[in-house]
Amino acid sequence: MAQIDEDDIILVQRGPSPTVAGGFYRSFVETARGLKTTLFKVFGETQTIQYPEEKTPVYPRFRGRHKLHTFEDTGLEKCVGCSLCAAACPADCIRVVAAENDPNNRVSAGERYAAVYEINMSRCIFCGYCEVACPFDAITMGHDYELSDLNRSDLIFTKEMLLAEPIERTPLRTEDE
Amino acid sequence: MPRPEHKEITLTIDGRDVPAIDGQILVDAARGGDIEIPVFCYEPKIGGPVGACRMCLVEIEGISKLQTACSTPVKDGMVVHTQTDRVKGAQQSVVEFLLVNHPLDCPVCDKGGECPLQDISYGYGGGKSRFIEPKRHFVKPLGLSPLIAIDRERCILCYRCVRFSQEVSEDHQLVLLERGASTFVATFDGHPYVAPFSGNIIELCPVGALTSRAYRFRARPWDIEGSGSVCNLCPAQCNVTFTVRDDRVLRVLSRDHDGVDDGWLCDKGRFAYQATHSDERITAPLVRDGDQLRPATWERAIQVASGIARHSGAAAAIVGGETTNEEGLLLGRYLRDTLASHDIDSRQGGALSAGVLRELARTDLQATVPDLEFAHTVLLLDADPVDDAPILDLRIRKGARRNGAQVLVASGRPTALDARAAVAVRHAPGSAASLVLALDAALSGDQGSASSHATDAGSDLEAINALAEALKAGGEDVVIVWGERVTDGAGGEAAAKALVNISATLGLGTREGSGLLELPRGTNGRGLREVGAIPTAGPGLSNPVAVGRSTDEIAAAAAAGDVTALWFLHADPTRDGRNTETWTRAMASAGLVIAHASTLSPELAAHATVVFPAEAGAERDGTITHPDGRIQRLRKAIGSPVDVRPAAAIIARIAEVGSGVDLGPTAGPAGTAAVSAAVSFYAGLNVDEIGGRGLRWQDRDAATNLPAGDVNGESAAPVPAASPNGALRLGTYRSIWASPEVELSPALKFLSRRPTVELSPIDAERIGVTQGQNVDVGTGADVLRATAHLRSDVPAGSIFVESGLAAPGNLPSEGQLIEVNKA
Ligand code: SF4
Ligand code: SF4
Ligand code: SF4
Ligand code: SF4
Ligand code: FES
Repeated sequence: MAQIDEDDIILVQRGPSPTVAGGFYRSFVETARGLKTTLFKVFGETQTIQYPEEKTPVYPRFRGRHKLHTFEDTGLEKCVGCSLCAAACPADCIRVVAAENDPNNRVSAGERYAAVYEINMSRCIFCGYCEVACPFDAITMGHDYELSDLNRSDLIFTKEMLLAEPIERTPLRTEDE
Repeated sequence: MPRPEHKEITLTIDGRDVPAIDGQILVDAARGGDIEIPVFCYEPKIGGPVGACRMCLVEIEGISKLQTACSTPVKDGMVVHTQTDRVKGAQQSVVEFLLVNHPLDCPVCDKGGECPLQDISYGYGGGKSRFIEPKRHFVKPLGLSPLIAIDRERCILCYRCVRFSQEVSEDHQLVLLERGASTFVATFDGHPYVAPFSGNIIELCPVGALTSRAYRFRARPWDIEGSGSVCNLCPAQCNVTFTVRDDRVLRVLSRDHDGVDDGWLCDKGRFAYQATHSDERITAPLVRDGDQLRPATWERAIQVASGIARHSGAAAAIVGGETTNEEGLLLGRYLRDTLASHDIDSRQGGALSAGVLRELARTDLQATVPDLEFAHTVLLLDADPVDDAPILDLRIRKGARRNGAQVLVASGRPTALDARAAVAVRHAPGSAASLVLALDAALSGDQGSASSHATDAGSDLEAINALAEALKAGGEDVVIVWGERVTDGAGGEAAAKALVNISATLGLGTREGSGLLELPRGTNGRGLREVGAIPTAGPGLSNPVAVGRSTDEIAAAAAAGDVTALWFLHADPTRDGRNTETWTRAMASAGLVIAHASTLSPELAAHATVVFPAEAGAERDGTITHPDGRIQRLRKAIGSPVDVRPAAAIIARIAEVGSGVDLGPTAGPAGTAAVSAAVSFYAGLNVDEIGGRGLRWQDRDAATNLPAGDVNGESAAPVPAASPNGALRLGTYRSIWASPEVELSPALKFLSRRPTVELSPIDAERIGVTQGQNVDVGTGADVLRATAHLRSDVPAGSIFVESGLAAPGNLPSEGQLIEVNKA
């Protein structure tokens, strides 16, 4: 074994062993004090939410499943396929492949549009950076948090899925909640 | 002009002492001292500074006004400040000013993420604009050419593209029209900007005003990876970076190498990557089944190909120019050592003896690419760089423009550099050898034989004497750029010896910046010769055990039944237009025809027994040798389609299955080590030493291993040029665009060639054709229908037919007489 340097040795000082009274105090009184809130709540109103029949309401700025937006008047996609969201994404879960718009049959308002737009929801950490990066407010984060699936590849959300209005299943918190 | 002397000085920038070279531009000197001065218009590759953008303002002590660092040469003791409030204020104003008319296009602009204007606005801008008036508007985006899109709103008028067109490629097509804020970049009369080097302006433009249409919206800088390699489409072997996304090549950028390409690429190199992902490319082995080639499994293809073992002594191989050194060496070994055949060739025009090849490869006689720039005189012998090795055309122009180099031309077909030439001499097509002999005689003062050789060359003594005079008077540093076709045919060896003689007369071996530079036909022509893929020399240009047949002789022997198995490694002789008919007969009568190809010519489709899919340039791994001796690495940028395998591995497998021999390592560092072990003057070379920039074997100690040359033997005299009485002398040329890659690339398709014949207006009038009409070249069954292209500088009596096409016709060899009639 290697020689241990004198300076590396730290002596640990232990306190004195507890007395009988001290031991009793710590085992019962302190434990009861720690359980105080729990014990009182036993007699209060039930707080359990019966998910999935009942859902936790979320705050308006909750960051859930993404939505891609279109212009209300023209119906064109707001996304121009600039890939800035993909650049901002720390989890590297957005894939954008852009293409050129056909002036007679536009998809987006700019010169380019996203031919492929995919978010891999199994990797997303819901940080919201994509929303911040987007220069056109084309992508925002919605309230839906029910994203589990039985198949990993089904968690790659395509442009069509993101453009579709998500089924609004998540209740919003009311003002005073 | 010899390379300039450098005097070291010291100046002070931001309180730091910075070493520099006297007269260096301040921006460059500062960069050497790790101080960044922002620039837009300054680009030394293009030429002198223009001071158009004012981004580079700095404060210099002793000068009251701010100065543009891009146009200020440094002096010893100069004191410069780049961080003062005055400079920062000026930089912010310039950025604000440049953005006045610049649209907020970043999200849709292809430059976004790799845009100097974005970077400099962030780094040096003030962050806000006071401009609230409407911005300038142009129609956008427009096609400047089928390859380039222009968005004039984004242009910051740095002049880079225009200067490139005017001063580097000298095609003089791009200009700035209008004045003031309405100025815009265009071609003078609005025609598309189509030129061999047009794509370079995409890389030069510091904003997204000029973008590639092929790369349009394909990817962002954070979606891609750059993979350095070497372009294998022509002998210039420019260094490139492949832009790769999802294992596909999306773009090719220059990987600036002063010793090779000077930072430019031709449009073929830049856009032909598209052929890699073409649907027409062969991506699975094909085996003949009756009169059809059908996709087959690898086992079956190898099984059929390994039948070559039964053709021992009667097998022959033609090795195409894009083959790597490793593959060439391997095939040569298998043929010579196992199949007892010496019939392997990578040249087209007949063989030179090993002794002569060694003499031409002499280290002291070898010119380098940068020598072209600093030579006093550059002589082109039957070579047109713009078609043979495009990027060298730019280098020769640079020498002539910046350093006043004298350009001399002696060629059959008029060259693109004629306009630059002090003397341009024409000779009959295919008679370059006689011309070289005449020049040699003229230089050594033997007027009698100069005159007879001049007549043989179909040229004129007076002009040859003028050429000799200009060569002697032009200064000591002379670089002779000669095309491989100088040594074609019967007189090839005599021409090679005359070249060596001319070099001795002019003392090229004694001066650093002088020498010979051959432009081979194939990309790796030089390397294949040096690894022994020629009938007259083994690896390292050693004397062979036995001399084999050359390309034309192989064709004749196969047609006569003496050669029964043909192996085309990345080669398709029927595409060259030489001996097409003999080759077709040869393929039909051979028992086994193995080909490695990406596309099939009709002849190969009709006669090949096995076709192995060839790897595309970006998929290859191995070394190739530049015409000036620089050994460079091809590096795999993308994976090949599943059923495409490296040629070296296929050769080794065939040898194993057919003959039970192990040819040793095929690829990677071990493959390269095998090459350096076999070629005496590459000794000890490994992939790490070659690295990303390559190195010239002449600069290594092992270069002394090159065995001495031998020019003493007798050589045949060149065939005198036929005199054109009524018929016309046939010449051929291969344009830069005549290649399968161009045909397969959607972006370049508009440039792909159709049969064309260049003729002089005098002959055209006699035949009765005008520009663009069809003519029939030849008679009888072999007639080739081609479009007439009238060129006033084509000498009367000669025609030049485009070769390298998918259906080149069956023409007699160069210099023969041929009939041309109106179709
Ligand atoms: S929320 Fe964050 S992790 Fe998820 S896609 Fe957007 S940027 Fe990426
Ligand atoms: S969602 Fe926004 S940031 Fe992402 S590609 Fe589309 S426009 Fe760009
Ligand atoms: S198009 Fe580009 S390179 Fe040409 S002047 Fe404008 S900004 Fe400069
Ligand atoms: S000059 Fe030759 S090597 Fe260079 S890019 Fe063009 S084809 Fe490729
Ligand atoms: S870089 Fe100096 S003026 Fe443009």
